[in-house]
Amino acid sequence: MTTKKKIEVDYLARVEGETSILVQLDHAPAIKLKIFEPPRFFEGFLVGRKYDEVGDIVSRICGICPVSHMTTAIQAVENAMGIEVSEQTVVLRKLMSISQIVASHLIHLYMLAMPDYYGYAGIVDMQKKFSKQIANLMKMKEVMNKLTGLIGGRALHPVTHIPGGFTAIPSNEALASMLEELKAIRPLAKQVVKDVSRFNIPDFHSDSEYVALTNEREYAVNEGKIVSTKGLNIAVEDYYEAFDESQVSYAFAKKSVLKERTSFMVGALARLNNKFDRLQSETKTAANEIGFEIPSNNPFHNNLAQSLEVVDGIKRCIQLIDSNQFKDGDFRVKVRPGAGGSVTEAPRGLLFHWYKINRKGILEKANIVTPTSHNFHNIEKDLKKLVNENKDEDRDRIRLLCEQLVRAYDPCFSCSVH
Amino acid sequence: MKKNKPKIGIFKYSCCAGCEFQLIYFQKYIMEVFEAAEITYCKMLRSGGNENGPFDIALIEGAITEQWQAEQLKKVRSASKYLIPIGSCAVCGGVPAIKNTEQEYEVQKRVYEDTSVIHSVKTHSIDQYVKVDGYIKGCPMGVRDLTEMVISLLMEKRPDYLEYCVCVECKLKGNICVLVSYGEPCMGPVTNAGCGALCPSHNRGCYGCWGPMKDANSRALAEQFKKMGLSKEDINRRFTEFGQPANEWKAGQIGL
Repeated sequence: MTTKKKIEVDYLARVEGETSILVQLDHAPAIKLKIFEPPRFFEGFLVGRKYDEVGDIVSRICGICPVSHMTTAIQAVENAMGIEVSEQTVVLRKLMSISQIVASHLIHLYMLAMPDYYGYAGIVDMQKKFSKQIANLMKMKEVMNKLTGLIGGRALHPVTHIPGGFTAIPSNEALASMLEELKAIRPLAKQVVKDVSRFNIPDFHSDSEYVALTNEREYAVNEGKIVSTKGLNIAVEDYYEAFDESQVSYAFAKKSVLKERTSFMVGALARLNNKFDRLQSETKTAANEIGFEIPSNNPFHNNLAQSLEVVDGIKRCIQLIDSNQFKDGDFRVKVRPGAGGSVTEAPRGLLFHWYKINRKGILEKANIVTPTSHNFHNIEKDLKKLVNENKDEDRDRIRLLCEQLVRAYDPCFSCSVH
Repeated sequence: MKKNKPKIGIFKYSCCAGCEFQLIYFQKYIMEVFEAAEITYCKMLRSGGNENGPFDIALIEGAITEQWQAEQLKKVRSASKYLIPIGSCAVCGGVPAIKNTEQEYEVQKRVYEDTSVIHSVKTHSIDQYVKVDGYIKGCPMGVRDLTEMVISLLMEKRPDYLEYCVCVECKLKGNICVLVSYGEPCMGPVTNAGCGALCPSHNRGCYGCWGPMKDANSRALAEQFKKMGLSKEDINRRFTEFGQPANEWKAGQIGL
């Protein structure tokens, strides 16, 4: 059989940012994620900017995970300059990060991923048949955005978060009423897991290394060690010893690999595969109810993992607000030269920021490695396997599978190029 | 009200896509107006769609940093009745325009080893390439001007956008002035309103994310910053974080 097979998705819809997918099965077989999102050169123009602007600037890398970039950058600046922060700051950061992760997952699951599984072009077309799900999505998302905004001043590109702490602290009254709203959406969150478990998820397995941030106390978000399902276990300070990022000719995003190993996966599934035992007991129960077995090596299960993190995240926000009293506090930041990095769990996985700062507080070097750069190589690896296993299917089926797989990773191409 | 639903096309250039997400954030306010309109092209929201239009409104998110974007933008302009930049990147260059303060190649080579495959140009706002029919300011864009724009289109009236500075909103809120009373370098006097004086209401100076206000007196504010002891570089940084290409902030960018 000599049918020519070349499939090109020239502008993948329903992902954040701009990419195309090239699948060529004969002649010179190739599968490439051609990320054409234009570079904005954050690492270039951050040189010469001041330490206290970095959070505000890098938050503009991403419109769906601004809190992640802001928090990671601020923590990196603090590590570089030797700034200690209060326990309250750590808790507020956690609340902002988790609320953003939940909101981001909700958008991804319902607006970007779900239409594929029901044969729709987009959520607008699903309004009639899925009105209940969409109403629930909007309700939950509104509450989570409200929590991020309560702490950050606004949910998208928060303003209160600066190196050293927060310029304003939400009142305990406002948090108490937030608590009620969070409690009210808990049943809706359980429904998310059920909705996602109804997706007709392809039976596809791929041997990947799953990398996540972990610590002893909790389901880590902003602090911990970097571990993997294949034995990686390093401190954040040793990031450069384990990871290597390089430019590729066909994409503006760089590709990150584990040195002397290969590609790896980050994100919700990688987190679950590494630290399922740190989830709340009710999240574990929800996983059991849908028969979700850990570890899973099916990248499409990333959607299920996200739905479980929705349940877990809402519960954790409730606990964090319930078990803390918040009060206004003054903090001062002393400018000191140094270099330092930070790793956090963004909604889409491991995010790394690193800065070198001089004695005037001016940045001399900046490096940012995003979840989608971490996943880039693994997405292509999985695409190859998926196409190979389905090469006898018709073109439209192969195209849909490829699109679904890329979306399952929840890539963010604006982030990946930055 | 027209019988045919107005067609809206949403295009993304160099930016964080936050303004498109903002459309989703505002869903509860704007669903009513958006039900009266039809989004016929928006890559992030749905597959397919016709990028060639025609559109009653083209909403443009992001700044122009590559040649192909400028070429497409011109096509969109000719296929659209109204074309409106949304958010600071599109309106005044926003954060992506910070790089304009240096040689393009200097910035490129800090990020990419092989710059031969990089084709970026200096960051431009949308109105530097095509005629625009209004601005939806903000980073992310604000809901008030967005709904005003859509309602105006549906009612065929002239939109009334916010065209005063952050200070007005700050005074209306009864805030103590962070610039005068606390000596915080605040960009409020030269920055377009719409955020509700967010930063001064949270104990910090405005950093100008909504971009320049029309007729802003940036020289006077730069002088004030100088009197407060800010270095030339510090002043320059404040006037280039959002809106480097905008004329209104040029006097501040000289840094005195």
